[in-house]
Amino acid sequence: MIDNRYAIRLKGVTKCFGKHTAVSELDFDVPRGALYGLLGPNGSGKTTCIRMIMGILHPDEGSVSLFGADPDEMRRTRVGYLPEERGVYRKMKCIEFLTFLAEIRGIPRFEGQKRSKNWLERLGLGEWADRRIQDLSKGMQQKVQFIGTVIHEPELLILDEPFSGLDPINQDVLEEIVRDFHSRGTTILLSTHLMDQAERLCERVCLISRARKVLDSDLEELKAEEQTGVVVVNFEGSDQWLKGPEIDHIDELNGELHLILKDGADHQQILKRGLESGAKILRFDLVRPRLHEIFVRHAGAGAVGDAGTPKNTSLGFQ
Amino acid sequence: MWVNVWAVIRREYLERVRSKWFVISTLGGPLLMVLLMVVPAYFLLLGEQAERKVAIVDGSNVLYERIAPHLEDGGFEVEEERWHVDVVTALRQQATEGDLWGFIVLDELTLETGEAIIYVTSRPSEIHQLRLRSAITRAAMEYQLERQGLDAGALLSGGELRMELLSDEGTSAEEPQFWVAYLGAFFLYMVILLYAVSVMRATLEEKTSRIVEVIISSMKPWHLMLGKILGVGAVGLTQLAVWIISGFLIIAGGMPVLIAVSPGLVQFETVLSALPGIGMMGLFVCLFIFGFFMYSGLYAAVGAMCNTDEEAQQAQLPMIMLLVIPIAMVSIVIVQPMTPMATWFSLFPLFSPFLMWARVASGGIPAWQIGLSFLLMLLTIFAIAWVAGRIYKVGILMTGKRPTLPELWRWVKEA
Repeated sequence: MIDNRYAIRLKGVTKCFGKHTAVSELDFDVPRGALYGLLGPNGSGKTTCIRMIMGILHPDEGSVSLFGADPDEMRRTRVGYLPEERGVYRKMKCIEFLTFLAEIRGIPRFEGQKRSKNWLERLGLGEWADRRIQDLSKGMQQKVQFIGTVIHEPELLILDEPFSGLDPINQDVLEEIVRDFHSRGTTILLSTHLMDQAERLCERVCLISRARKVLDSDLEELKAEEQTGVVVVNFEGSDQWLKGPEIDHIDELNGELHLILKDGADHQQILKRGLESGAKILRFDLVRPRLHEIFVRHAGAGAVGDAGTPKNTSLGFQ
Repeated sequence: MWVNVWAVIRREYLERVRSKWFVISTLGGPLLMVLLMVVPAYFLLLGEQAERKVAIVDGSNVLYERIAPHLEDGGFEVEEERWHVDVVTALRQQATEGDLWGFIVLDELTLETGEAIIYVTSRPSEIHQLRLRSAITRAAMEYQLERQGLDAGALLSGGELRMELLSDEGTSAEEPQFWVAYLGAFFLYMVILLYAVSVMRATLEEKTSRIVEVIISSMKPWHLMLGKILGVGAVGLTQLAVWIISGFLIIAGGMPVLIAVSPGLVQFETVLSALPGIGMMGLFVCLFIFGFFMYSGLYAAVGAMCNTDEEAQQAQLPMIMLLVIPIAMVSIVIVQPMTPMATWFSLFPLFSPFLMWARVASGGIPAWQIGLSFLLMLLTIFAIAWVAGRIYKVGILMTGKRPTLPELWRWVKEA
């Protein structure tokens, strides 16, 4: 029976390159209409996973299905895919490139042209329609490519690091469009290493680390369940009071200190110690843990280091 | 699915036909041809205007009528001058004043030895010297032979060798056209390779820019490859068509005009009769199409298995080396088109486009051999498409190092 509840189902998918295991026994289901985040540090297997969903790579073991059916048929017309490495026909005019992409997905030329124009206008590229893509800036090219991904109004959008390389203003524009598609019922799978972004956008996340799934859950539920306490502090004076048995480690973000507490630690003890030390405490705020902290807790700090990138950039400290 | 293939063909064709390179090379061909015709003719005319007027002082009294027509054909304006004592001084005067380019003095000795004196204001070209000299000696010989009662006209104009083939192997009674055989084979080699390599480059570019991942998610690799080959092939045919048609128009239309303007160019008329006919042109286009399909399939596979230009350069080396063989053989085949070696080599499908052309143009090969070579090429096209399609399918999405031969074989088997 065709199971129509899920846009994507991965069952026991494994992929090895030589001796290196890129994805190991991965299962996950993306329900129809979900905005689903695939998270993990660089090199954790996100892109390999997406390339298997798109049929660019074939899993060594396990199976992939789209809309409960054979993925080959579904991909051609119902899926929009934005690869991580950007590719365009540099010498083509924007409008012709987009019309071509629409055409190979079965949209008549005239309709394709109309849609391309509308999209270019919407993303502020109207006057660039007749220019060659190589004349556009990198960010503009990326927007053109994004249009190419959605021009046939797919039911499933697969976006591999869609925001990387964009300035904050254009990131917001694109985020808005992603939300718009989501509100109209499009299923979206989005991979990112930027935890903050996933936290803002996604309703469900799958965390991958070292080729394996670490977490797969509704974001709100996940946060509610998490026991880890986080305290944001701001103060003047000595920081001696921050040394204590309750604190696992301290992160610095936007000039504020985030104290990550150990399980079951009492934050009141820290506050008390602070007041006694004579420091002038401006802020002492018990907050819900951020996705990053949840991830580190589940995958272990080592998982982050494994990715070979500095902690503060790879996991989205902005 | 054919919508997909059509979209790829259309894109490939339009992008290329609109490119500067295509416009320049397509228009440049005929332009070059016009230049090759007009420039020498122009200089010829220039030269002739300066050298045109010649006076002949005929001391023998029998040579003038015989020489004058030949020189007039050669573009000279000829006038006879009666012999008198001061004739040389008088003509010298005229020449220095610019009324004459020069004058020839003939006497009784000329009748026996062909010796004559020409006074000129500027040195004539080698060709003109030759023409002047041969006109004089020819006239002297004609006179001498006629005096003995012989009609020497036909002999002196070079005679004629008529050929009657006794075997029935010849399919055409046409004269062998060596330059057509030679230039045609090289031209085929050039355009087939040019467009096949262009399929490879396009494939490589799509692969390295990763655009192929997006395209392949919307269509089968085999369809992309087919669309690409057909699109590029159509560009090649367009270019050939422009070249062939404009070439015909230039030579067939322009030549008579040129000759009418300047009768001195009448010797160029031989070019007209040596032009390959419609049949040969059809053969040329067919050989291009078949050759292009074979080589573009191979080159598409090479493009798909490589990651960089350097890798592609190396990977196409075996093919370049293979192609050295027919090119080296063209000149042998032209001279001896019917030897068993020429026959076998020209029937080998990858060599057929070049060697069949050379043999057919060199004259008289059996029709069944032409038919067989096309059949073999057709089978080869299917075989290459099958193998190359499989390599393409795997290779186009593969990154990392270039596959080894055993790996390639596995791609072909498993794809």
